[in-house]
Amino acid sequence: MRFPRVSFPRRMILPSLLLVLLIGSMFAAPLLTSADPLQIAISKRLAGPSWAHPFGQDEFGRDRLARVLYGGQVSLSVAFLASFIATAIGTFIGLVGAYFRGPFEFVAMRVSDVVLFFPPILLALLVVTIFGPGVYTMIAVLALLYFPSFSRIAYSETLRVSSLDFVEASRALGTKPRRIVFSTVLPNILGAISVQFSLTAAATITVESGLSFLGLGVVPPAPSWGQMIRGARAMMEQDPLGLFVPCAALCVTIYSINLFCDRLRDVLDPKGLEDGKDSVSPTGKNGAAPAELADGNAAELRGLTLSLSRGKKAEPVDLVRDITLTLPRNQCTALVGESGSGKSLTSLALMGLLPSAIRPSSGHIAIERKSGAPVDLVSLAAKEAEKVRGNDIAMIFQEPMTSLNPVLKVGAQMVETLQAHRKTTSDEARKTCVAALDRVGIPEAERRFESYPHELSGGMRQRVMIAMALLCEPKVLIADEPTTALDVTIQAEIIDLLRDLRANQEAGLSMLFISHNLGIVADIADRVVVMYSGEIVEEGPAGDVLSDPHHPYTKALLESMPSLHDEKHSARGDRLGAIAGTPPLPQARLSGCAFRDRCPIARDACAETHPDLYLAADATRAARCLFAPDAANALKEAVS
Amino acid sequence: MLRFALNKGLAALLMLWVVGTIIFSVLFIIPGDPAELLLTSDGASASQESIENLRKEMGLDKPLITQYLEFLAGAAHFDFGQSLIDHVPVGETIALRLPRTIELILAGLFLGLVTGIPSGTWAGLRPGGSFDRTISAANAVLISVPGFVIGTLFIYLFAQVLHWLPAGGYVSFTSDPLLHLKLLALPAITVGLHLFSIIFRMTRASVLEMRTHDWVRTAVAKGLRRKLVVRRHVVRNALGPIVTVVGLQMGILLGSTVLIEFIYNWPGLSGYLVTAVQQRDYPSVRAIILVVSALFILINFMVEMIYSLLDPRIRL
Repeated sequence: MRFPRVSFPRRMILPSLLLVLLIGSMFAAPLLTSADPLQIAISKRLAGPSWAHPFGQDEFGRDRLARVLYGGQVSLSVAFLASFIATAIGTFIGLVGAYFRGPFEFVAMRVSDVVLFFPPILLALLVVTIFGPGVYTMIAVLALLYFPSFSRIAYSETLRVSSLDFVEASRALGTKPRRIVFSTVLPNILGAISVQFSLTAAATITVESGLSFLGLGVVPPAPSWGQMIRGARAMMEQDPLGLFVPCAALCVTIYSINLFCDRLRDVLDPKGLEDGKDSVSPTGKNGAAPAELADGNAAELRGLTLSLSRGKKAEPVDLVRDITLTLPRNQCTALVGESGSGKSLTSLALMGLLPSAIRPSSGHIAIERKSGAPVDLVSLAAKEAEKVRGNDIAMIFQEPMTSLNPVLKVGAQMVETLQAHRKTTSDEARKTCVAALDRVGIPEAERRFESYPHELSGGMRQRVMIAMALLCEPKVLIADEPTTALDVTIQAEIIDLLRDLRANQEAGLSMLFISHNLGIVADIADRVVVMYSGEIVEEGPAGDVLSDPHHPYTKALLESMPSLHDEKHSARGDRLGAIAGTPPLPQARLSGCAFRDRCPIARDACAETHPDLYLAADATRAARCLFAPDAANALKEAVS
Repeated sequence: MLRFALNKGLAALLMLWVVGTIIFSVLFIIPGDPAELLLTSDGASASQESIENLRKEMGLDKPLITQYLEFLAGAAHFDFGQSLIDHVPVGETIALRLPRTIELILAGLFLGLVTGIPSGTWAGLRPGGSFDRTISAANAVLISVPGFVIGTLFIYLFAQVLHWLPAGGYVSFTSDPLLHLKLLALPAITVGLHLFSIIFRMTRASVLEMRTHDWVRTAVAKGLRRKLVVRRHVVRNALGPIVTVVGLQMGILLGSTVLIEFIYNWPGLSGYLVTAVQQRDYPSVRAIILVVSALFILINFMVEMIYSLLDPRIRL
């Protein structure tokens, strides 16, 4: 939260203006009307609007305009005074409690707790019973009712602010606690307090008018809105205007304060874009684009470009450019790259799980169903895509701690997957799922079936995710960094498990394995595809690429790997390499080669031409670098 | 689970004792003689004789500790002494009127939940969409209209202008079921509207948050039907926060039904309370507030139980 702000936010103009207008007109009442709000004229009771009395006269013939304006003065004064007192007391208690902790904290928080345990209006009534109604009782009651919410907010905000660096620093410099609290902490929690203040102001007006309506608040003949509504209620049939005027005044005032409060909250804590699109089912265009798949491939992306639309004004940005990726049937293809290289997006495109703002602007997507028919999940209608996902293609995610729903039992989450794609009785489903848990090496599968996710370790949860993904025996499995969040020993176990499962899957399993860890990739992959800044920069058989990388980026990735490094270079005793710099943002890609500013062998030519993916002579591998061993031949061929 | 319930139950009882003690002591922490304080208002003075009488009637002449113990023992037996006005035992009146208040609140709660959760879910799934913008804007207006204003305007519209429903009153369900429901309709809708605006806001915010969680993506990747994803992996998870907020709101609601019962002449606890406050019938006021606070504590206890059923991580 940033506070104070230098410029006046545009969204605050309307509500501020509205409030100034309302409050201004109430306190300028003597200028707006010359009528006396207490002047009784029985002969003119319930008279309609006239020039002298624009809102008519009430049941005692008093001028209604004057009564609304003067009544507003009373209501607003009571509300704001009470809110100010509540703010001052509450903030002070919260600040002291949070900053000095210990006994201060205990007393501050318990006092607030006790008050919060009474229904507000009832507590007000209890006090009114003892003291009798009246304006001062009212202010005291309202302040008492609302100070606890301030101490709570001040308390939690102070705790947050006092742990910030600059507060720690001034404490270390020996600044007096009182100075820190009032000149460092207080200004930083004012944002949250001011939001709470406007909320409280609206609430106190409501309670004040409610009590006055019951005849237990502001005492007649002093005007107040609640009382005017009470008076007009008995006459509503003859004189509905008498009802509407104070009701409208009350509601418009509360609405303006609420609007002010909402806008203030938005300004202090801006929220993200809300586009009105359904985020739960990401696909949804009608009718599928025809999908084609080359023989021997389980999935393909051809010339795929994914663009992020940035609203109507800005040009869309290409996040992934011209990707051609094939998943040969029953093989494991690894997709490697730094975070932000586009590898996860590429896999989400295969699953048809792209966020709604990201759409393919060109290219083809296809995966093979069990029936052999190819489909494109991005353009497939939502209902059809549901039948494919989880059944023909499945996915395991990076975070096993959050990928399972915490409030449902593991078993229930597995059974629903099975039942989404197959007709089974719950007994059969249970048996299948327990067997699947057993297969992924979960001990006491029968008991784990009844466990909640939080009762399992991270490794166990990832095993559950794997068991769940393979329940319907899909032909394609996407594993998106499945071991990144796990301990090193557990990582190895999960990789072994995936390898065994793939070997034992009778119908065959093609896998896309996404990772930034080349050591793990070496263990599991048949082919490796390396991505950098939204493009494929190298691909080929895993053994070849990892032992003899052609692209300098792959080489750098390998050199930053501790385990491979040991095997290869320990004799030379040199240091672990790190790749200097960061990958470019998609909207600020370099002309020419995207990697050139971080590349140790970059030359002038790299800035001029954007390199192609040059195919090696034996056509098994390719690299996107002008200085790759085969680039020269490929370039020559292109020229001739 | 049993231990969790037992712990929370004990904490609730402790809270009840604290609240009871505070309610008892309110009259005594104020400087001056309580009997004199209750009989004087706006500067009017009371005769020494009437003060003496009141002191005897309320047992104020006994030692404080005896009064306190008698108060606690009485409260435990639902015996709150006699009304100062008509000398009917306060406990009897409460037993007669409390169920009517609960009926009204439950009817309102039902309406609020049935309308608030689906519309909040729909709006939360498509934030910024036309449905969301319409309902959210309408809700911002609704939240700004106090319950007693809605009630008064409803009576004007539905009873005075349209003559669809009676303006207020009460008959028991057994004597005339149809009229009972007709009389219940307007107050229940008024309470329901208030709850709707809170439940809608909370559901929308909660769904908005839940839908971004990883397990929702997992559920979609599993190929679950959309309806199932929303029901089991978004709304089911959003219920916890909703229940908590509704529980907290019940306290405020217990207070604001005072106004709504008053408007519609619904003879629940609240009408009794307002009369008692106006007549400064202290034993009655004290008893009602104690009962309502106990109800509030009970609701909070139930909310904690429901929450722990909804979210297994709480049962520790």
